[in-house]
Parts: sequence; structure tokens; C-alpha cells
Amino acid sequence: MLHRVTFVFSLTLAAASIVSSAMADEWGTLKGRFVFGGNAPASPALTIDKDVEVCGKHNLVSEEVVVGDNRGVANVVVFVRDKKVKVKPELEAAAKAAKPVLDNLNCRFEPHVLFVQVGQELTIKNSDPVGHNSNIATVKNAPSNNLIPASGQVTTKFSSDEAVPAQVTCNIHPWMKGWIVVRNNPYATVSAADGSFEIADLPAGEVELQFWHEKAGYIGEMTVGGKAEKVSKGRKKMKIAAGANDLGEIVLDAKLFD
Amino acid sequence: MSTSSKSSRRPCLIAAILAGLIATGCSPTPPAAFRLNMVEAISPTAEKDSIAAEQALTTEQQRQVATILAAMFGTPDEPVCLPEAGLDGSKLQLAAGPVRSDIVGRKNGLYREHCVHCHGITGDGLGPTAAFLNPYPRDYRPGVFKFKSTERADKPTHGDLVHVLHNGIAGTSMPSFALLSPTQVDALVEYVKYLSIRGETELALMRYYFELDDEDEGKLPETREFLVDEILQPIADKWASAADAVIDVPEPPADLDLAASVAKGKELFYGDRANCVKCHGVTGLGDGQANDYDDWSKNIVKIEAKLASLAGNELEPAEHRWIADFHDVLDGDALQPRTIPPRNLRKGIYRGGRRPLDLYYRIHAGINGAPMPAAAGTVSPEEIWHIVNYVRSLPYDFDGELGVDRSMAVQSNVAGALAAQETSDQ
Repeated sequence: MLHRVTFVFSLTLAAASIVSSAMADEWGTLKGRFVFGGNAPASPALTIDKDVEVCGKHNLVSEEVVVGDNRGVANVVVFVRDKKVKVKPELEAAAKAAKPVLDNLNCRFEPHVLFVQVGQELTIKNSDPVGHNSNIATVKNAPSNNLIPASGQVTTKFSSDEAVPAQVTCNIHPWMKGWIVVRNNPYATVSAADGSFEIADLPAGEVELQFWHEKAGYIGEMTVGGKAEKVSKGRKKMKIAAGANDLGEIVLDAKLFD
Repeated sequence: MSTSSKSSRRPCLIAAILAGLIATGCSPTPPAAFRLNMVEAISPTAEKDSIAAEQALTTEQQRQVATILAAMFGTPDEPVCLPEAGLDGSKLQLAAGPVRSDIVGRKNGLYREHCVHCHGITGDGLGPTAAFLNPYPRDYRPGVFKFKSTERADKPTHGDLVHVLHNGIAGTSMPSFALLSPTQVDALVEYVKYLSIRGETELALMRYYFELDDEDEGKLPETREFLVDEILQPIADKWASAADAVIDVPEPPADLDLAASVAKGKELFYGDRANCVKCHGVTGLGDGQANDYDDWSKNIVKIEAKLASLAGNELEPAEHRWIADFHDVLDGDALQPRTIPPRNLRKGIYRGGRRPLDLYYRIHAGINGAPMPAAAGTVSPEEIWHIVNYVRSLPYDFDGELGVDRSMAVQSNVAGALAAQETSDQ
């Protein structure tokens, strides 16, 4: 009896692996563009009260909500939620070689939102003539807070993904805020200045995406192709077809950013 | 409005109080019970979801957390200790429960005798005297401790906590417990670890709701695999490995003249690499960057910011409810956050201890939970010793001429900044 159960079980396993290997060669690219639904808010100027001689000359404004050309919403994070998602081998290799960099530049973080994969070596550098510190408030990974002198740099690694992007702050310059998205696979991206994003080489089939923005949090509702959708905790399941998948314009209502 | 929502949303609480009354008659002391981490239960909203109210734990979920914690850790009177937690049950017995004598005449209930009035029955830093103290008593629940010999993100060693109990914390309301026997101090340290591991487990459980899949229907799995292997074990492992994370401190440079070392330390203090001046101020009076919060306050500050951002908006019913809940929480489960000032280094009062070694640890690793960053990545061990020597000279440095020192420091700082600006302009 026991033997039979084991046998049936291994048969199922074998069948499952046949199915997945049959689909292994199919990869799709997902793209879309986030659009601000409403009048784009003005970004308030930041109060620069430390190292004014250096930081005061950059006309820094809040980057909490950045709306660019054609009302595109920048800095929206899109990633595949499933931690066991099948990853294209070439992509895995590319991720291993990639060296993400977070720069302290002009008394702000560049980029404002950075994706780092688990295991990648993150370089935090300082291109400013003044010293900074980078206080990374990770939850699952050990939080860190290192001094980074002018022209200096430190490196760090993450050993676990983070359920919520981790905020990076500089305690010396309290207006400086950035975010680090830590995921355990390469399927994550941050929308560009015009609101567009693209994730290449997703496994064909159903994937669960998750959408996040620093002001909106996990995005609870969006209008895709003219159709309003409630997406609990910013999670949206969709079928990825081999080749191109275009979500078109994804309208995010202004009230999400209140 | 808020009273009615309270009573309808917390039937179990009222039932528990009633049951307690019936069981104990009119006794003024109901059995001690741990409190839930309500701040975490209704936060941190901003990063998690656009609709704050939907992100708070439901009453059902709060009840599940309380049930799991009771099974894993017992009650303040009868702590339970899973072997995986790595705690010594006999020590916990000595510290837990009401103050009493045991069968051989040893005093039991040490935590409630010595600690509870400030640190609270749950170790949440919310004892009855807490609101009157500045700084507030430590909340153990996040498992973060400031004054220790280990790297920034690591746990304190058992010895570190014994050291704090033995010496107290200068400049705060934390007294020395040097008059207790080593066995008693040992028992209290074990109990503090117990409250921390319990609090960290609670946080991990509460945060996990967000990661559940739809088919979990908002309920945490109550399997051993999840609760012990996935949640408790990693927390206990960090405590068990604290001794491996002790900072390696080389001897201070022996051949160096003290005055020369102080001068080098001063250069580093004002320089861009160690950058102490930015927060501790050009005078060392702790008057630099001074409007920051520590990690214990940040969640409440964040919730307050969320509240402020909702003000003036048209609110949905769920948001009304969340605001009412938040005010409940502020009433009983949190203290008004205060900014954390950088230490005034002219006073010679060092909370984490005044030994040169203590200052070395603080500079090397920074202070966990506080804004103070780690300098180890950018200055060498020898340079850290120079900074230690300079900092130790500061209380005796001014000789009535603090103003002179200050203006010189301001001048050199401005000159440095101007030079830096010229460089960056090129």
C-alpha cells in the first residue's frame, strides 16, 4: 500500500516535470506604462538645513510622487511575487554578474528606488563632497547604517528577500530618502521617468505580479485597458504569453497618492 | 462613536475581563497577562497598502497571534520555554511571576520586584512610570539593544546585559542592580531575553499576515514547521550566536603620545570621514543634527504622518475606524515619540559605559536602533582609538574658553565646506 502511494506520487512528480520542461523554452516580455489619474501634484521643495553650501544649490524637491512626461508615474515597483518562479538561465547568469550601485549624489539617492537581487553585491557610494551615512531599514536582513565619506564607498549583500521595500535614509541629511527593493529573482523593475516599465524573459504561463509605490504602498486599485480593477495587496495574477505582453496604460488614481 | 466601535470590535477583551472578575471576585489584582503589540497591529501602514485601514490586523488575527504566543511562551506567571528558544527554564522561574518565596526560601518574581514598573509586564517599556521618564525605558520587543560589545545588527551577549544591569545606564533612570546576587542578575537577564524573543516572535507573526497567499484566508498556519522552524528558530539562533559577533578590538597604539592621539582624533571628529561633527555639533554639545527619531519611535511617527495626510480628506468608513483604533493605541499602548538628541560629549556621561573600550564599541558599530552610524567601514581601528581619546578629552577641553574653541571650530568647518564647494564647482 505504502509502495503504491509512493509510486503514484513519483508519477505525479514526473508528469509535473515533463509539463514544466515542455514550457521551459517559452519566455515572454511584459511591459506597460503607469499614468497618473488626475492632475499631477507639484513636488514640494525640500528644506535643506544641513551642509547648505553643498546641498542647497541643487533645488531639491520631494521625490515621494514623481510624475513625468505624459503624466507617467516614475518609481513604481513591479515584481513577480512567486519566490519559486522559473528563471531563464541566461538571466540568472546576468544577475550574478550585475553590480547594482546606490549613489549619494547631489544630496539625494540615485536612483531613488533601486532593485537589488538577493546575493548581489550592492555598492553604496558617495559622489558628493560631503560625508553621508546610509541607514538601510531592512526587516528580514540585518539592518545596516554605515558612514560613507566623500568619494568613499561600502559594499553590502542581502541574504533574504524583503516583503516590503526597505527605506534608506541619511541621518545627517534628513530629507534624503530612498528605497531598496530586495527580491530573490531577477523579475523586478522600477518604472522610468515616463512611467514605462519592462520585465523581460518571464516564464510563459500564469505569474502573480505585485505593484508598489512609496506613497501608495502596495497599489490596491488600478485601471488597466480602461477597466478598473481592485488588486488586493497590489497582487495581480496574469497569463504571460510567449513573446510580447503589453498592459498598455495603467491608470493610477490620484487618491492613491493622498 | 469611538466607544461604541471599541466595544463592538473587542468583545473578547470584555469577556476576558468579566471572566477574570467572576473568577477572582472583587480582588484588585487580576492575573497578569501579556499585552499585544498594538502599534504593530495597526501599522506600518504607509509602505504596505494604499488603504491603511485594510492593512491593520483584524480582531480575528489579533486573537490568533495572542493564542499562538500563549502556546509558545505561556503567561507572565507561568512562562513556557520551548527548547528551540535556547532559554534556561529554571532561571526564568526565578524571575517570573509574582514576588514570593519558593520552597527553599529563595526570592522569586524578581522581574516584578525590580523591573516591571518601568519596563512593563510585557517588556514593552510601558510600565506605569514609563511616561514620566526621559529617556523612556527600553521596549524589549523588537530585540534591539544599544549598549553591547557586538556588531551593530547583532544581539547583545549575555555578559553585555549583565554589564548593563550591574552598572545601570548613566544619564538615564536605569539604576545599577549591583546589590543583587549574580544568580539573580543572571535570572533577570535570561528573562529579558525571554521577553525579547517573545516580542520578536510576535512581530514576525504579525508581519507574516501580509505575506500570506489568498488561499490562506488571512490565517497563519499553526504547524510546528511554520511556528518553530520558520519563525522562532531564526530569532533564537541570533541570540545564540551573539558571542560570535563580538567586535575584535586591537590594543590602542602603545607608542603614541596621548596629546598627539587627541589631536588626530580631533581632526577625524571634524573631518569628512568620521564626520562626528554633523550630529554632535561643532562644539561637541550634541547640537548638530538633532531632529531625528530612534527606531522605537519611528513607527508611531509614521502613523502620525499618515493621520496628518488623511486630515481634510473625505474619509471612507474603514479609515474612520482606523483613526479611532489609532487613538485607542496612543491612549494605552504607546508613548508620545520624542526626538533623540545626539550625545552631549562635553558632560562626560556615557550611557553605554565610560571605559575607553565602551566608546570604541560605540564608534566602531554605531548604536543599533539609534541614528548613530557605524564608522568601522571608513576609519581604521587605530583611528577609532584616536577618536576615543579625543572624545574622552572633550569634558576637560574648554578650560572656560568654550566660546573660543567654538568659533575656531566654526571657522574651520566653514572653511572646509567652502573648499569642498569649490572642488565640486570645478
